[in-house]
Amino acid sequence: MEGKVIFGKREAISILLVLICNQLILGFPSIMSNSVGSAGWIMTIYVSIITLCLFLIMAKLYSAFEGKDLLDIGEFVGGNIIRIIVGLLVVIDTVFLISIKLREYTEHIKIISFTQSPVSFITLFFTLGMIISVYYGIEPLVRSASIVVPVVAVGIIIVVAGSVKNFEFSNIMPILGTGPYDIFVGGLPRISIYSGLLPLFFIPPFMGGYKDIKEIGILAIIISSVVLTLGILAYLLVFPYPTSANSVLPFFELSRVLEYGRFFQRIESVFLLTWSLAGMIYLSSGLYFIVYVFSKTFRLKYYRPLIIPFTLIIFASSLIPKSLIEIMYIDNKIIRYYSWIITFGMTLILLVIARLVKRKKRGMAKNGK
Amino acid sequence: MGSKTRKIFIVLIVLIMCFSMTGCFDKREVDDLVNPIAIGLDKGRNRSIRMTLQIAIPTKVAGGGEGGGGGGGKESVSYTTVEAPSIYSGLNMINTYVSKQLNMSQIKVLVFSEELAREGIEKYVNSLMRGREFRPNSYLLVARGSGNAAERYLRAVEPELESNPAKYYEMVLSAYSYTGFSSNTTLVNFYKNMVSESSQPLAVLADISKFENSDDINMDNSTYREKGRDFPLEGDFKAGDMPKVGTIKSEIMGLAVFNGAKMVGEFDGEETQLQLMLEGDFGYSYVTIPDPIAEDYVVLLSIRQNRKPKRTVEMIDEKPNIKVKIYLEADILSIQSGINYESIDKVKILEDSAEEFIEKDLAKMLEKTAKEFKSDTPGFGKEMKGKFLTWDEWINFNWIEKYPESKFEVDVDLKIRRPGLMLRTYPATGIEVGEE
Repeated sequence: MEGKVIFGKREAISILLVLICNQLILGFPSIMSNSVGSAGWIMTIYVSIITLCLFLIMAKLYSAFEGKDLLDIGEFVGGNIIRIIVGLLVVIDTVFLISIKLREYTEHIKIISFTQSPVSFITLFFTLGMIISVYYGIEPLVRSASIVVPVVAVGIIIVVAGSVKNFEFSNIMPILGTGPYDIFVGGLPRISIYSGLLPLFFIPPFMGGYKDIKEIGILAIIISSVVLTLGILAYLLVFPYPTSANSVLPFFELSRVLEYGRFFQRIESVFLLTWSLAGMIYLSSGLYFIVYVFSKTFRLKYYRPLIIPFTLIIFASSLIPKSLIEIMYIDNKIIRYYSWIITFGMTLILLVIARLVKRKKRGMAKNGK
Repeated sequence: MGSKTRKIFIVLIVLIMCFSMTGCFDKREVDDLVNPIAIGLDKGRNRSIRMTLQIAIPTKVAGGGEGGGGGGGKESVSYTTVEAPSIYSGLNMINTYVSKQLNMSQIKVLVFSEELAREGIEKYVNSLMRGREFRPNSYLLVARGSGNAAERYLRAVEPELESNPAKYYEMVLSAYSYTGFSSNTTLVNFYKNMVSESSQPLAVLADISKFENSDDINMDNSTYREKGRDFPLEGDFKAGDMPKVGTIKSEIMGLAVFNGAKMVGEFDGEETQLQLMLEGDFGYSYVTIPDPIAEDYVVLLSIRQNRKPKRTVEMIDEKPNIKVKIYLEADILSIQSGINYESIDKVKILEDSAEEFIEKDLAKMLEKTAKEFKSDTPGFGKEMKGKFLTWDEWINFNWIEKYPESKFEVDVDLKIRRPGLMLRTYPATGIEVGEE
């Protein structure tokens, strides 16, 4: 892996936005509504604030390790063993996540368009796309992300703006949904919705200094929180609870009720385009992240030979769940509850230990003097 | 991999992807599909349903065949009726004898018979919402009458002005914005209200004209008597009862009122207008009101609603106290008596009279929703819901059960803006009181 700066802030923010906001077009709005009823948007804001605070703490701790990624920091803390443990944890977590998301995208496209095609057949096309884009490396991937993000943004804006006439403010009442406990205590593990931030701690070798990472992280969290909050708010303003908690594809459902007079109907075709673009970039970025972390963990010179084996693992794992119901259960009850453990838990612990080790080493060096 | 080999590889992959995605499992030639535009559901025998499909004939709709210009009316559609245990099994059965595969994504109207609607249509609405091909924006109608009312209605639809029957349904069902005699009762709206704790669903009433020629026309089924009027106004009818004859037999007027998923009553055209005013969805319409001074005459206004109504709900002695203020604007279209209501000193008389007329009808209509139908069709529960902090508190409050105890205070603010193209009405010479 090259350690030189090969992309800028805009590209980094774009890829993080794709990694975090893709869930808006999957089941996120109905999952949030299912958790806290009409207060799904409040929980999104709350979770975003918590994430921002956590990130600021992490960025502060990280400031002492400018230019290093989590693997370098792991190595600094405990040599090869910690580096390998950190690397493997990240790889396993991401393989699990991408497998589930791959199947989710596949199932959704099966519901929307390819109703008669076997799941494996549709998955194959996603995986082929992933292989090709990862083969050409990170640079084309992030540059594509920076091109795709505005297109996806326009698609989302069309859907949200078109829904304004269907907005009913009584739909977000009672304001606290299923209750403040569910939002502020039960909602804490929901910081997992920002687990897409994890790659941020692996891009320093491709980027500038510590300030860049901090700025990118803050901007990515703020923009994502705005997008996610507005998205779920638009959905809830159109579909009242409990209807809102019922949909498999909430944003698709939102786009289906849109009509601009008699001439512009079936706006969901716009949604399909943006949905597949975002999905492809998301899955490809995930695969690239896996092979990159794995190759760096084991100090492999080339990452390309890893693409096919990891794709096969992801492809096979994605076919393990028996149904979409099982996939949605995993997404809702496991991924969106526990994926914070790696992104925030492991990273924070590692950074705190690294800080302590660094202080200790500095103390020892001083005493030695 | 060399640059040339790589290019060939990429082109090959792209070609394989393109061809296999378009030509494999989901291959559906447009020519092999047939598009029903309306579906009618009646009660069948032995727990089954009788399903009627109105199918568009593509060549006729597109203006093909000899003569061109489209078929129009019945020529452009075909009908089939089947008895089946459910909607989807019925579609399966129809697919066995229709040469093309049914594609339900062009369905514009879903018609339930009154009999089925009174029994409850929850299971059908749920399955329609779950189905990918059915559009959430399809209109939901209830065909009045006993027996196979839905089938009867669909077979009577003859859109003479439209070669495309789908366009006919779109146009006629969106006409509420300039008539106020029906409402936006789409499938998704019906479903949202059906499962809602704060409002109840409605569906457009449909029926076939009862009169064959103009001599048969009578006002027996008009609702004017129960409203205490001496003569019927244009809104005092429900679908099927309109005093009209013509080649277009199908009628749409009024609303079917539901409590949950069961039909419990009907609104006539005027009550439908008032329902739209209460929701803030009343576009504009010609409204006839009695002349405030000359008893035997009427004044015709073009009324529109430019502001959302102000609605408040308070609990007084455990009973909902509902206050509604409706803001309307009007243009004068006709003053049969010739009294100069356009003048600055008399316009207030007309405004007050119109306000009083609408307020009286509104109060009656609201009492009817609460006492007779026990169904919160205007959705006042939405205002009440805002007073609660959590969902459990709101559910435990049980608004649906409290609504029938409601007391209503209605206030209408109507301002006459324009007198049309005449500043005053001059009586015809030779008679005492001017007439149009």
